[in-house]
Amino acid sequence: MKVKGRKVAIVGMGGTFPNCTDIADFNHKLFDNQSLIREWDQALAYGKNLRSSVSGFITEAEAGLEMVPSAIYEKLPEIYIDKLNRVPDKNLATADVGSIWAMINTLDAIKMAGWSKEETESEQTAVIMASGGPGSSILRAGWDLFFQLGAKSRHGGPHIVDRTMSYREVANVSCLIKNKGISESIISACATGLGNIGHAYRLISYGIQDRAITGGVEATSIEAFAGFDGMMILSRGFSPEESSRPFDKDRNGFVCSFGSGIVALEEYEMAKARGAKILAVIDGYFNNSDGDGDMFYPSFEGQKRLWKGLLSETGIRPDVVKVHGTSTPSGDSIELFGVVSTLGESGYHISAPKSQYGHMLGAAGAVELISSILMLENQKVLPCLNAVNLNPELERFQSNPEWTGTMKPMEAYRDLIPQKSFSKEINHITCLNYGFGGTNSSISISKDY
Amino acid sequence: MERQDIIDGLVEILRTVRMVDQAKLESVTEETDFIADLNTPSTEMINIVSKIEQKFEVEFDDDDIDDMGSKVKDAVDLIIKVKQRS
Repeated sequence: MKVKGRKVAIVGMGGTFPNCTDIADFNHKLFDNQSLIREWDQALAYGKNLRSSVSGFITEAEAGLEMVPSAIYEKLPEIYIDKLNRVPDKNLATADVGSIWAMINTLDAIKMAGWSKEETESEQTAVIMASGGPGSSILRAGWDLFFQLGAKSRHGGPHIVDRTMSYREVANVSCLIKNKGISESIISACATGLGNIGHAYRLISYGIQDRAITGGVEATSIEAFAGFDGMMILSRGFSPEESSRPFDKDRNGFVCSFGSGIVALEEYEMAKARGAKILAVIDGYFNNSDGDGDMFYPSFEGQKRLWKGLLSETGIRPDVVKVHGTSTPSGDSIELFGVVSTLGESGYHISAPKSQYGHMLGAAGAVELISSILMLENQKVLPCLNAVNLNPELERFQSNPEWTGTMKPMEAYRDLIPQKSFSKEINHITCLNYGFGGTNSSISISKDY
Repeated sequence: MERQDIIDGLVEILRTVRMVDQAKLESVTEETDFIADLNTPSTEMINIVSKIEQKFEVEFDDDDIDDMGSKVKDAVDLIIKVKQRS
């Protein structure tokens, strides 16, 4: 249980963001209303076998990395070289691209937090993070080599497991920073990023740990992209920058993207006592499940219960709701109506940063939390790019006799959904993320006073 | 193939392994220990053995590798033995 009076501060952050050099570049482009989505050469290479070809991605070269191919099989990395010398070779040897991002982001977050070596390596410092998917690109090459090409298992080298296991990001980060506290992963589909941060928040607010490095990662993976493309749920038919269009009536799917976001959490009074800059305070975290037996379709009732749980913990009405907002036809309408049924029809704004960089899957919740921290810092609301036309007609499900939500169309909520970034006083932001299987996560963050 | 040629070939392989202490490759002898002297992580020996097979066009049996010592001379001996065997 939460220890009374014990608060949690966000004191550091780092990320690997699509088409951005660093967090300052990310900050500039977001509030400049830019899209970070591009045509992806890896997808274009498969021609008509893929429906979609746009993504928010960062190449290895753009991230300062160079792949050294295995001498046995060129598609299998033997190791990556960090051209900027941020991570030692020993740690690079055991890491896939996502784990390398996580290590670099962790170093940035710790530097921003100002933690000492002793604090970082303490028994009171946790590492809590994960990806939504496995290390697909390395698994694929390793499996090709063994199953298709008939090589011996040892020809795949000693690092197939450590670079592909579900726990790989934590394993690599923990070995890098040598923390002695709790290290574990929470896996909850596209709520993974926020789920890990929520779990880390609980470890601190329950008095189990004092600090945590936490977040979500999704390494570049044409394999993951192809899986979603095969479900016919990726955006197609628009220019790259117009492909992600949450709430717009012509939206037809999400943009599959990749990246990572890591934050440093610390017990509030300890952070204050050492003079740390408090980027935000976490007011509360709540997660639940839809409970309707549906793998994919979002649940209005599940999301209403999510809101009820979060608000009963925090009692805080947000100035901005950072929605999951994927740009899928059913997801956005259910989510909008869930927000409206909870908060009413005015007094807040909705921000959908996936409109700018797509859906980073297991990293989404973490990168979007960082985007929300930037909203607090800038006192500006990030837009819902491309939400040009909202449906003036009722959604089909609104005519269902069992529907309990609003009987107004999405267009009625135009004023809540900005198409451009704008300034306003922002003290509180609620962040929402959901995942396949009906898992839902929510967090409330506030400006420090 | 002379033993020194094999050692030279092994050094070429070790130059491609980033975890090996590159500064120590200038003075590799038959008595040099991959792990103790060159700070090679034991897991990386798996990659090194694969590179040896490829470079010297040999194929080691599992027993060959299990029984191989960690000194350069052990690798040289094994390469010669396997070449003669084939």
